[in-house]
Amino acid sequence: MDFNVLIQNVFNGLAVGGVYAIFALGYTLVFSILGIINFAHGAVFTLGAYFTYAFLGARFGFNGLLANQQLPFGVPFPLATLFGGLAAGVISVLIERVAFRPLRNRGADPLLTLVSSLGVAVAIVNVIQYLVGAEAYSYPSLTISLGIPPSVMLGGERPIVIRTVQIIIFSVSMVVLVLLTYFINYTKVGKALQAVAEDQITSRLLGINTDRLIVVTFFVSGFVGGIAGTLVGLSVSITGPYFGIAFGLKGLAVIVLGGLGSVPGAVLGGLVIGLGEALVPAQYVGYKDAIAFAVLFIVLLVRPRGILGRTLVQKV
Amino acid sequence: MEDFIKQYGFLIIQMTFAAMLGLSMYLPLMAGQLSLASAGFYAIGGYIAAVMSTTVFAVPRGAPFPIEHLLMEMLVAGVVSAILAVIVGVPSLRLRGIYLALATIALVEIVRVVSLNLEITGGAIGIFGIPQPFNDKFSYGYIAFPMLLISAFFAYRLERSRIGRAFVSIREDELAAAAMGVNPTYYKVLSFVMGAVLAGMVGAVSAHFLNTWNSRQGTFDASVLYLAFVIIGGSRTFVGPIMGGLLLTALPEVLRALANTPDLFAAPVAKFLSDGRWIVYGVLIVIGTIFFPQGLITPSLFKWRPLKRWGLGRAKPALKEETA
Repeated sequence: MDFNVLIQNVFNGLAVGGVYAIFALGYTLVFSILGIINFAHGAVFTLGAYFTYAFLGARFGFNGLLANQQLPFGVPFPLATLFGGLAAGVISVLIERVAFRPLRNRGADPLLTLVSSLGVAVAIVNVIQYLVGAEAYSYPSLTISLGIPPSVMLGGERPIVIRTVQIIIFSVSMVVLVLLTYFINYTKVGKALQAVAEDQITSRLLGINTDRLIVVTFFVSGFVGGIAGTLVGLSVSITGPYFGIAFGLKGLAVIVLGGLGSVPGAVLGGLVIGLGEALVPAQYVGYKDAIAFAVLFIVLLVRPRGILGRTLVQKV
Repeated sequence: MEDFIKQYGFLIIQMTFAAMLGLSMYLPLMAGQLSLASAGFYAIGGYIAAVMSTTVFAVPRGAPFPIEHLLMEMLVAGVVSAILAVIVGVPSLRLRGIYLALATIALVEIVRVVSLNLEITGGAIGIFGIPQPFNDKFSYGYIAFPMLLISAFFAYRLERSRIGRAFVSIREDELAAAAMGVNPTYYKVLSFVMGAVLAGMVGAVSAHFLNTWNSRQGTFDASVLYLAFVIIGGSRTFVGPIMGGLLLTALPEVLRALANTPDLFAAPVAKFLSDGRWIVYGVLIVIGTIFFPQGLITPSLFKWRPLKRWGLGRAKPALKEETA
């Protein structure tokens, strides 16, 4: 592979990997607290992208109930992304209320909670399809609206070309990562989250309101999921209501690779899988979508607790 | 009657397949293992039948396809599914927790991506013109109905055998089962393989039935749908997934019929019933898990206590002898 192409692919991989990382963090946060994988996370990711589209004041297509509708106002892209994330966070909290809390209060089998989150995912994806149709949407071009060049050249004679969008995506995901790490490690709520993840009953005895913290967890998880959705939509386009499902399944591979419940593991796993996909040789590009799942198999075989995961202690 | 079969014969066969696919999800669940692989094995079985019947067993166009060749394909599909299930099951089932669910999702996705790219599976277009052993679709009942009966009988006997009880003991408490001498990994893999074989064989018949096979058969969505059969039908007895498969496959047709009945519903409701049936499925799964965690059909339904059901009978005096 040509050196220039290699560098470009590495940059692409980092941008995609950064998004995988923040998306997978949403799974990880919920998993570390509840020990359950929230299958609705992929649907929240999709919702985030659609919300951002709506907040931009853009018009919806020709199919579905909301055909040709648009919000009476539009906000600039950075603000729309933020609003989209917040709206996705609110939906995520609602999902917790409807599909998680009733089962948790009854002390139900975690398997049932998993199934009910799958049900929520199916319902949300199809509500989206019902409302705005199955067609692809793309955001108005950022580079034109912000007046920046579509790509950056590095080097002189044979420059390395990098899409500006990739740089934006990578920087935004890094900022989100830093904020999230700060939130988890240095704020009171974050420390309470870690305590609840360690031992829910003891932390409740010590005066931590676990139910409220679970709501916070779902909100943060939905927020970062929604922002990840917008970033992916920015990079390619919103390819339809199902685009979060495929992404959500890859996110599972990311968290298993990093180690279930490990925050730095999710980041590392995201970057590794992003880079792995970007470095697939051109003639095998059709198999790119299988990379994450092949990695998942290998991890299960070789090191089931993931790169940075802790060994699970079997409790009776 | 003839008109009814003409209109609904296709649907009835589909319902039979769905019941068996529900059963194939139920088998691993008996041992407490969530597998989402049935769709993957269904796709693999279908590809095996499609490739074999258009190459090795190819018949001239329009000629009937010999049934013994179809049975042979089902056998191959079952064996391949079993081998693959062992390969996937052993690494993920020696662990406790949700690893099987993750590994099976990976399997389904890998099958989809690989079949999209391989030449032998016809790429994105798939395989067309799979030869037909029967003249009409309803005749597939000669294969599908006995298959359903045999697999239902198998599940019925399984539930009352040593192996079935070992499955249930792992579902209830894996550590306790291990302490009692049940080898959890062995029985978990066994339950997973049983489900895989059934799904693979159904796929083989289904490929002939549908006449064409491509990578849209057996996706993650399909897995979730089969899971809904079990969760809504009931996951505590084999009757649950069978009923779930039959009813939920008929549901869209019923909804469509309701939607098409003039003056029964206002236009928006009718439109929702026909376009929004997947929303209904999703909501049903959530409601089912929260309010009917055992599904609609529970083992207690089969205990014949007509008086007690109406609050007239008395509870069995089970402790009488001990207190005396």
